Amino acid sequence: MEHAAIETSGLTRSFAGRPAVDQLTFEVAPGEVVALLGPNGAGKTTTIRLLNGILQPDSGTSRVLGLDPAADGDAVRRRTGVLTEAAGLDDRLTVLENVAIPARIRGMSRVDAERGALRMLERFAMAERAGQKAQGLSTGQRKRVSLARALLHEPDVLFLDEPTSGLDPEATRDVVGLIATLAREHGRTVLLCTHFLAEAGRLCQRMAVLQRGRLQAYGRPEDLAARLWRGLPVDLDLGGPADDRTLAVLREARGVISVEASLDGAVVRVEARAAVPSLVANLVSREVPVYGAAPRPPTVEEIYFALQEQEESVL
Amino acid sequence: MRAVVIKDLTAIRRSKGVLIPMITVPGLLLVILPLLIGLAARNHAAPNVDGILRSVPEGVARPITQLPEAQRLVVLVNGYLLAPLFLIVPLMVASVLAADAFAGEKERSTLESLLHLPISERDLFYAKVLGAFLPAVLVSWIGFVLFAVVVNTTAWPVMHRVFIPTKLWLVMIVWVAPAVAALGLGVMVRVSARAKSTQEANQLGGAVILPLIFLAVGQSTGLLLVTLPLAVGAGALVWLVALVLATGGARRFTRDRMAAAI
Repeated sequence: MEHAAIETSGLTRSFAGRPAVDQLTFEVAPGEVVALLGPNGAGKTTTIRLLNGILQPDSGTSRVLGLDPAADGDAVRRRTGVLTEAAGLDDRLTVLENVAIPARIRGMSRVDAERGALRMLERFAMAERAGQKAQGLSTGQRKRVSLARALLHEPDVLFLDEPTSGLDPEATRDVVGLIATLAREHGRTVLLCTHFLAEAGRLCQRMAVLQRGRLQAYGRPEDLAARLWRGLPVDLDLGGPADDRTLAVLREARGVISVEASLDGAVVRVEARAAVPSLVANLVSREVPVYGAAPRPPTVEEIYFALQEQEESVL
Repeated sequence: MRAVVIKDLTAIRRSKGVLIPMITVPGLLLVILPLLIGLAARNHAAPNVDGILRSVPEGVARPITQLPEAQRLVVLVNGYLLAPLFLIVPLMVASVLAADAFAGEKERSTLESLLHLPISERDLFYAKVLGAFLPAVLVSWIGFVLFAVVVNTTAWPVMHRVFIPTKLWLVMIVWVAPAVAALGLGVMVRVSARAKSTQEANQLGGAVILPLIFLAVGQSTGLLLVTLPLAVGAGALVWLVALVLATGGARRFTRDRMAAAI
């Protein structure tokens, strides 16, 4: 059996008596992208710091690539790359130095570090600014330089803390595309902390939702959705809002759980995807025009907010 | 460790805010001031220092009163009274740079990236110490060379000989000044690791560094009067305290403590 790239068991860390991460247990498979979601103060950044061994847990254990970050921090950090929320560039150094010097701290020779840094800067379209001080860079450019730095040593695991915060839409699209490529083509394991749920939905295979340091939910979005809601929503495009007769037909159809009118037609929740063809055939046989029927799994955003509501109702 | 030192030295070289006081203060103390004194001594109307000599320790006054009158001002001021300034320079430069060591990284939001790199806590701590120690010693030594050149050149018409450095001066520069820099660092790096900003580090550290400066100023003139072995011994004592502070700081320095304070 393949070992998990990241695994934690009962991981706990408090600050001034308040738990920042509380009994956290989850695992990430090699090559998987997992989104760590939650409001501010939920414990996302603390989790990354614990997993990369810069914070020590109060209790519980974790392993990254089979190593214990609490005991073998440097060995873990040699194989991980971190993009911190603040890009963490030294404004007094040039763009090239900001990428090459950390590579030298990682043990690369000056020549290899500079050559590698230039290669990475080219990849992130920052090579022409290599000799410029970091001071004048925009937020998007800083993130790109920081990503170049995080990737130069070809880490097996990437910890990305809010990689798109402060970016304009174009830069966000670029960075999200880059992360997707890293995971898909290079098989890197990515733990992604983000507030941007659409970005998480596009990138992650599994999502973990943290609330006040505790893991509220963890799994594939479709599995979490199945736990929250029964059935699958299907958008029916009928060329306009469904009339009462059509809604009644839909309610009586086999495999239908619920029906709601929408601007284009109706949103029908069915037991399973297999119910959709007969539903459409039923409407067509009654001369109701059907322009489209699209099963629409709940988005990460819908799942996240449903979980939030669930949490609030418990409190 | 070397790469962290290189990073810090490169950053210092590029930072005008750090570089300008690092050059101007020693420049004023070690070049401009002795230049003015040297020029004043060449003037026939150079002030009579006999009054001052009566109020300084006899050990200092006696050899100077035996000199020709024209040489007294130069030897008194350049040979003895400016000595404390040499210890202020390494202490000041080391303190300014050490205050920035960790607090500056916090302020620039670069500390977390640094902590995420695979460098041992001990190496990171000592790299930060070295990154401040090397420039402090370098500035002191360059300052001393310039001081010696300025003093001997301007005083040549009066002295007709190279009178600085003496053996005791050399002990001060090569042995005591680096020890004083290390002492300042031992204090300030620890303060910097706890402070949230460079300004806070300077404020907190000032309370510790200022008495050290007064102590250095008070003792250094006396140091030039003692014998060579005593001066070496005094330097060794300062080194010992500095090393105790530095090793204690390294032991207490942990990533966890730093990361928890971000």
